[in-house]
Amino acid sequence: MKKMWKVAASAVLAVSLLAGCGNTGTNTGSAGEDAGVSEGGAAKSVTLKMFIAQPRFKEQYDSYIADFTKKIKEEKNIDLKVQLEMPNPDNAPQILKTRLASNDAPDIFGLHAINEIPSFYKAGYLEDLSDQPFVGKLMDSVKPAVTIDDKVVAVPLETLSWGYLYNKQIFTDLGLTPPTTLSEMKAVVEKLKQNDVTPFLLSYKESWIPQLFLPLAAGAMINTENTDFINRMNKDEGSFSEMKSMFEIIDLVNANGTDRALETGGDDGAAAFAQGKAAMWIQGPWYAETILASNPDFEFGVAPLPINDNPDATLINLSVSTSLAVSPSSSNKEVAIDFINYILDDEASNNFFQSVKFNPLATVHTYESYPWVNDATEYVKAGKSYQDPSIPQAVKDEVGKALQSYFAGQMSQDEVLQALDKSWRDYNKVNK
Amino acid sequence: MLQSGYKKYMSLLAFVGPAFILYFIFLMLPTLGGMYYSITDWNGLNRDYEFIGFGNFVEALREDPDFIKSLLFTMKYVIVMVVLQNVFALFLAVLIESKMRSKGFFRTIFFMPNMISMIISAFIWTFVFTQVLPQLAQMTSLLSFLDQSWLGDPNISFFSIILVSLWNGVGYMMIIYLAGLQGVPQSLKEAAIIDGANPFQSFFHITLPMITHAITICLFLTLNGAFKVFDTVYGLTGGGPGRSTQVITMNIYEEAFSNNFRYGYASAKSVILFVIILIFTFIQVSVMKKREVES
Repeated sequence: MKKMWKVAASAVLAVSLLAGCGNTGTNTGSAGEDAGVSEGGAAKSVTLKMFIAQPRFKEQYDSYIADFTKKIKEEKNIDLKVQLEMPNPDNAPQILKTRLASNDAPDIFGLHAINEIPSFYKAGYLEDLSDQPFVGKLMDSVKPAVTIDDKVVAVPLETLSWGYLYNKQIFTDLGLTPPTTLSEMKAVVEKLKQNDVTPFLLSYKESWIPQLFLPLAAGAMINTENTDFINRMNKDEGSFSEMKSMFEIIDLVNANGTDRALETGGDDGAAAFAQGKAAMWIQGPWYAETILASNPDFEFGVAPLPINDNPDATLINLSVSTSLAVSPSSSNKEVAIDFINYILDDEASNNFFQSVKFNPLATVHTYESYPWVNDATEYVKAGKSYQDPSIPQAVKDEVGKALQSYFAGQMSQDEVLQALDKSWRDYNKVNK
Repeated sequence: MLQSGYKKYMSLLAFVGPAFILYFIFLMLPTLGGMYYSITDWNGLNRDYEFIGFGNFVEALREDPDFIKSLLFTMKYVIVMVVLQNVFALFLAVLIESKMRSKGFFRTIFFMPNMISMIISAFIWTFVFTQVLPQLAQMTSLLSFLDQSWLGDPNISFFSIILVSLWNGVGYMMIIYLAGLQGVPQSLKEAAIIDGANPFQSFFHITLPMITHAITICLFLTLNGAFKVFDTVYGLTGGGPGRSTQVITMNIYEEAFSNNFRYGYASAKSVILFVIILIFTFIQVSVMKKREVES
């Protein structure tokens, strides 16, 4: 018992010591800043806080920010100090929200364009950047993703163009080309089966993977025959029963896939795909690195998923994920906006985007990208793409789980559609 | 007299104070905060929110089939876990206690899984379930019953979850029972043997009543832990397929951090869980306390 108290007491002491350290640390920090300002005239000292949840690109960001610091010192005589915070992407949204809610907003922060801009905009956490020079450089296909109420509120960094992945080796060996209609897809599936190749790789353990069907199927339909679907759903007037035909492709994939779908996660799936266990995988090119790690010589392509017999509905999904926004409460807004513009700087931006392997998204980007990106870009250039529909996150989560249950035989098609309708209604109720 | 009483309080405060302050700041305040948010419709992001009284609670209990389903699933898990975990732990403890030689070895072996972080052991077992067992099944036809969809089939995955939870949790309870068994006076057992009691009679009439305090603690811990289970299920099935193995804590997590970010509503669900655990443990402790005997 005595020992335990000793342990407890020393723990308390240790904690208070740490706390003490923390305090003195921040004190000296602010003292330094004050000194910088009071020097006056010579150089203004500014500290920018940035919050970008991409720790895997820390080096690239660090060097890019260093370039910017140099530039701003030369041009505006500002001593810029940047506190770059790079939390783990899994809990980053939580941390960011806590910071925003407690009035401790970073000057610049990264967020997901499709999923997060609407709610952040509504809560008033995004600065209007419409009249900044970078806006003019953005490609037309990308701009709508960072625009809300006709205002551009963020600069996009990562774009994704995806449909499904296919094994180029298998396709060339059998003389196949990516199908453009559902009937053609059925023919391809038959041909693959005749040659003892499993047509589809199924990896449904993580619910976000079956979830991918919704943006693909719904997105294609919204862009062809059901253009006002999202608006009507947001007004409680639509229903997913209009989208029932999406089960045609889902059933086709489910019926012709690999075994143990509900036990295969994304990484296992990438490894199996790289080993040629199936010809196609409903997945985006964001798994490129994992696939190539498991088989460096593997060749795969990106193609749009046909959902019905209208070839115009066979489209690539073009989505914008990580984007940078400026907080309206920032005390150094000018410098922050300078940095936002520097992201698409005429000279520096090209190298930066290439070094972090993001896809080109502005007129200033002229570098050569990966073959699978080129595949997708060709479709995009031919106008065969659509903007990732802004389906509420709650509905996306629901569809993943519902399609898992559908695959396990626990839910019927109608039950899946009803569950989706309900989750969208709930979303409307909460976000009215 | 007064002086010494004052002194007693001071020394009590001096000892309890530091721990209590930390406990208050890091546990009590957030808990109270959560209870406060449970009567609001805060979404975790907006600066303003409204009070909606008990609306969240009514919605959770009346209009949320997923919540009720996860609650029932958790109940099923709790019942199976509390029974099996204690039976196995007591059984192992008695076995080990009766062995004279390799006591330390077996104690360590059975306690070992408890030292591995739950989420890590969940991942280890995921590998076992999805890779090792199917391949074993392929090797010999004798083991072909191992070729199951351990984590993919909602009917089987419940047992997979129970298996991993037991593997992880039994060791700790076993240690508590071992300590209890060692406290049973040898003289009582000898007296029973002289009176002609067989080992079973001596176990049920001497040992069991004498270790009721250990049973109280173990039941309390298992009951509490089983209601709050999260990491095992999260690591093994993620609540899937669909929501078929979703436990109540995962339902709360989903509500707060992934669905509609309804912090207020999720807080209300947490409060419901808290009340359920409170009632169950209160009943359990008060029933068991009555049955404890002093040696």
